[in-house]
Amino acid sequence: MTQGLNNSINNALPEGVSITLTPAGISIRTKAYLFDFLIRALVMLVFGFVFSFMGKAGQGILLVLYFIISWGYYIVFESLNGQTPGKKRYKLQVVQDNGLPCKLPNIVLRNLLRPADSFPFAYFVGLIVMALNNKYKRLGDWAAGTMVVYLEDKKVNLVSQTKDILPPKFDLSTEEQLAIIQFFERSEELSQARQAELASILSAVLKAEGSEASDKLKAIARFYAGQEI
Amino acid sequence: MKQNQFVSINTTKWADFESLCQGKEYPANLPQLYRQICNDLALARTRHYSPALIDKLNELVRLGQGVLYAGESISFKNIWLVFSSEFPKALYVCRYYIWLALAAFWGLGLIAFSWIQIDPDAIYHFIAPAQLNDIERMYNPAGDIQTEKRHVDSDVLMFGVYIYNNIGIAFQMFGGGALFCIGALIPLLFNSFYFGAISAYIVELGYQDSFFSFVITHGSFELTAIIIAGAAGCKIGFHLLNPGKYTRSYALKHSGVQVLPLIVGAFVMLVIAAFIEAFWSPLDIPSVFKYIVGSIFWAIVSYKLYTGTRYGA
Repeated sequence: MTQGLNNSINNALPEGVSITLTPAGISIRTKAYLFDFLIRALVMLVFGFVFSFMGKAGQGILLVLYFIISWGYYIVFESLNGQTPGKKRYKLQVVQDNGLPCKLPNIVLRNLLRPADSFPFAYFVGLIVMALNNKYKRLGDWAAGTMVVYLEDKKVNLVSQTKDILPPKFDLSTEEQLAIIQFFERSEELSQARQAELASILSAVLKAEGSEASDKLKAIARFYAGQEI
Repeated sequence: MKQNQFVSINTTKWADFESLCQGKEYPANLPQLYRQICNDLALARTRHYSPALIDKLNELVRLGQGVLYAGESISFKNIWLVFSSEFPKALYVCRYYIWLALAAFWGLGLIAFSWIQIDPDAIYHFIAPAQLNDIERMYNPAGDIQTEKRHVDSDVLMFGVYIYNNIGIAFQMFGGGALFCIGALIPLLFNSFYFGAISAYIVELGYQDSFFSFVITHGSFELTAIIIAGAAGCKIGFHLLNPGKYTRSYALKHSGVQVLPLIVGAFVMLVIAAFIEAFWSPLDIPSVFKYIVGSIFWAIVSYKLYTGTRYGA
């Protein structure tokens, strides 16, 4: 399944199977970064307010805290389970190139190289490097041998089992069948109108229009899922 | 076999496996169970079961390999090993970079020092008069800053400044060095020239005692750590520029592993330097004590640097 827009990568394991990892792209990682940035800014603001009452010593402690938050935030959170609060919110995780959880040296290295990625401003170098490879690795990721991947939703979203099954009157290749099943699995996230619009693309073969077409397509999906025959 | 049959046969096994993976200790049969799950995933793929099922099995395998192949957790022994053996080893591996950085820093500093000694007015080409006035005020033995009694709270303030500023610079140099050495070389050379020029200017003014007695002790750790951080950054940048027989991505990864102990060591050295600079260097005691302690520290740092770069010990 490495066709078209699918950007997942297969990683062969010594056990003889390969697992699929989906690297996270620029937009979602930017969102996660901004979320983390917001948290850091808020924490610093609170500390700044608290220690402003403590005179010069307070300023000194504040500077140490600024240092710890600006350099240590990512290292501490990512070394726990590969997720900062921002990455957790957007269901991302830092893993090693082979999909294993990161170790502390990987995390330290990838985060100490942030100055290179953020050169000269707003992660300019990092964004260019990320755009030039299919795993969206920035310089720090290259050096540390890490990447950021999507965490799969653990809940199994299997095609539900009902009587509403329609064996199709045409033959489809496996990939086409999978596309229909994925349409079913995604349908909960789509509005009725969008479902109908998507299903109407196939109106010629389904011999139906609009929501009728999408219902028919779902019934075919149930058939392909092989739940009940 | 139909998918629903496959699921109903295996579903309890999968649930057991998932809960075992989330536990702290795993039982002896986990590897066997893991291989069965791998087998299930391979079967599900070849039989073209639904993507949701494949995703679930994929996730289980990912979870399992994370548990089975997890490395050693962080222990005191490992942290100690970083400083007792990995740091000197990294000094040895990166010795040419360290020597070059040392030579560049002290060489350019010496050039700046001699230049300002010969032609004192040349300093106005590099440093603004207002800044020079500040420096003059700071180290004037009869001035308000040297004679004023410092309080503990301003020591704490300066400690914060040193931590935030100096370690920030070292990390910036390390990270910036990855950009073809530029981000490390420019700050390194700038600081060396600045340090050399200021020292010469202060000698010129005749304030050398208050200046050198202040900088000697923490300078041993601070300057050496900055040089090490710069050398570490340069190594990453140079390997990116000239990967040699490796691919560029592998060269980057390889050099990253080699220099990591260096930056960790430099970090610890800078924390030590910040403590000294904030709480020892400004102490109001006869300069001779500071010179003695400073010389001892320089001897220790130089010896460690020598045995590290020469023998990796």
